[in-house]
Amino acid sequence: MYLINRLRKYGIFVVFIIISLILSFISPQFLTVSNWTIIITQASINALLAFGVTFVIITGGIDLSLGSMVAVTGVTAAMLAHPDTFPVALPIFAGLLTGLLMGIFNGFIITKSKIAPFIVTLGTMTIGRGLALILSKGRPVSNLSDSFNFIGGGDVFGIPFPIIVLIIVFIICSLILKKTLLGRYIYAIGGNEQASRASGINVNQVKMAVYSISGLLAGLAGVLLTSRITTGQPNAGAGFELDAIAAAVIGGTSTSGGTGTMTGTLVGVLLIGVINNGLDLLNVTSYYQQVVMGIIIIGAVVLDSWNQKSNS
Amino acid sequence: MKHLYSTLIITVFFFASCSQSKKAENSGDKKIKVGVTFLSMQNEFIVNISDEMSKKAEELGVELISVDAEHQPLKQIEQVESFIAQKVDAIIMNPCEVEASSPAVTKALAAKIPIINVNSATTTQPTAFVGSNDAESARIAMKFIADKLGGKGNVVMIHGFMGQAAQIQREQGAKEILKQYPDLKLIAHQTGEWDRAKSMDLMQNWIQSYGTKINAVFAQNDEMGLGALKALQDAGLKDKVIVVSIDAITDALQAVKKGSLDATVFQNAKQQGAGAIETAVKIVKGQPYEKELMIPFQLVTKENIGQFIK
Repeated sequence: MYLINRLRKYGIFVVFIIISLILSFISPQFLTVSNWTIIITQASINALLAFGVTFVIITGGIDLSLGSMVAVTGVTAAMLAHPDTFPVALPIFAGLLTGLLMGIFNGFIITKSKIAPFIVTLGTMTIGRGLALILSKGRPVSNLSDSFNFIGGGDVFGIPFPIIVLIIVFIICSLILKKTLLGRYIYAIGGNEQASRASGINVNQVKMAVYSISGLLAGLAGVLLTSRITTGQPNAGAGFELDAIAAAVIGGTSTSGGTGTMTGTLVGVLLIGVINNGLDLLNVTSYYQQVVMGIIIIGAVVLDSWNQKSNS
Repeated sequence: MKHLYSTLIITVFFFASCSQSKKAENSGDKKIKVGVTFLSMQNEFIVNISDEMSKKAEELGVELISVDAEHQPLKQIEQVESFIAQKVDAIIMNPCEVEASSPAVTKALAAKIPIINVNSATTTQPTAFVGSNDAESARIAMKFIADKLGGKGNVVMIHGFMGQAAQIQREQGAKEILKQYPDLKLIAHQTGEWDRAKSMDLMQNWIQSYGTKINAVFAQNDEMGLGALKALQDAGLKDKVIVVSIDAITDALQAVKKGSLDATVFQNAKQQGAGAIETAVKIVKGQPYEKELMIPFQLVTKENIGQFIK
């Protein structure tokens, strides 16, 4: 019984281990350091978005504008990152700031208008895509400086820079969620908004904070992606929000709010990364890849509801 | 309301009769109005076609109404319907889809408005077609790979969005050449969804599973070719692998110039855009025109890159 309870609690982690084991048996290249470096590097952009959206989902909200924010911030950064123009800090800063501003805008509209986050961020998703196209005139922004391209393509002591960013952001997000007052308020609002308000929590301020964090991290993801593919693409990031939400949900974040952890989201991100990588290694047609991914998302949610029922 | 309609009808008749009497000798008085609907303005190549159309239209004094169908055939049909309602002189369509955009052609023809397909085809025959044969571009690219490898080696292919006309034809063209070279083996193929980042990930994964076995990469567009190229460069394998793609976008031309991308296939946006406008004007003026204006592709390598970069 103890074992079964443990298994339920760490369900998705067990699924992750099992899938990894299966893949390492059928594909000899799977369990190598170089392959895992690639999996984590490829997953880093989704991870940043997923961490941000985890905060949002725990409050009971949703952010559909992530992918568009990646495009806008990426194009903004790229436009300032041509060689011999500005120091490399400027495009990075501009990308982050653009993301933050868009996040603040989301939060502002959601808290002031009381319109459902789903609708508001659906709107900013479209606005963002349009802005990215306007800024770039519909063309990729290329010819970026080497120092800018280092962020996504370089490594420190053999560890790719995106992985280092991923680890740092993961630690910070986990600390915010677990150790700070803001973290506790985020859970409280997701659990019961009315009660939180009654107990004196400034609900609007907390919501502003989570959408701002989500925007800021989308900005970071945009900068990282642009640097990785050495070009700012106005159509980049389409559908990224869905991967990020999927990762959070697979990792046990409940879409009705109140529950979720950064570690769970990280496992969700890695699981998606491992499946994409494994199916490519096995040369499985992408049609099947989508089917497999869908089954895993539904499976994870079923597991989660099963888990919640047994707890209560 | 009835009054409004009748006024409208009278006005339309009035203008129609005016334009008819003057059309033959003096087109300067009444501008030819052409409605254009594009597959997607998020695609650099399409944006280039659009720019060239605008230039040509200005030169010939044509009024252009350009709209973006955002990859949605239904939206494209609605746009063509609105062009018909606006009584444009001609419609230029850059179809979203072979089958699904066909009703737009039928509707325009039924309304007796000439419709010209540019860049890709529909099942229903339009008044005229201006573009290139996608299968041909893939044949050129794959032939280049075959020649470079001496007809022997392992090739991987990165597809565009599965099921789109360009993807289907480029795959078909590539496979025709592969059939002629039995020692040239296609060891893996997968979609990169026309996207640079996705194709970079895909190539990284292939490098893991096939390593140095890969001798050449054929990507169905430049974005994907450049993604694969980046993955190969990062893995230090570029010297051993040939990368060829299609479209000749600015980034790809720069990469060919640097010697990192081995070749791209130039699809002439300028001639396609200008050709479509010229054909439209000829049809409206009742002059003879070509029913199928085929713009040839050109292979771009380091040797002839000078012709393509200003």
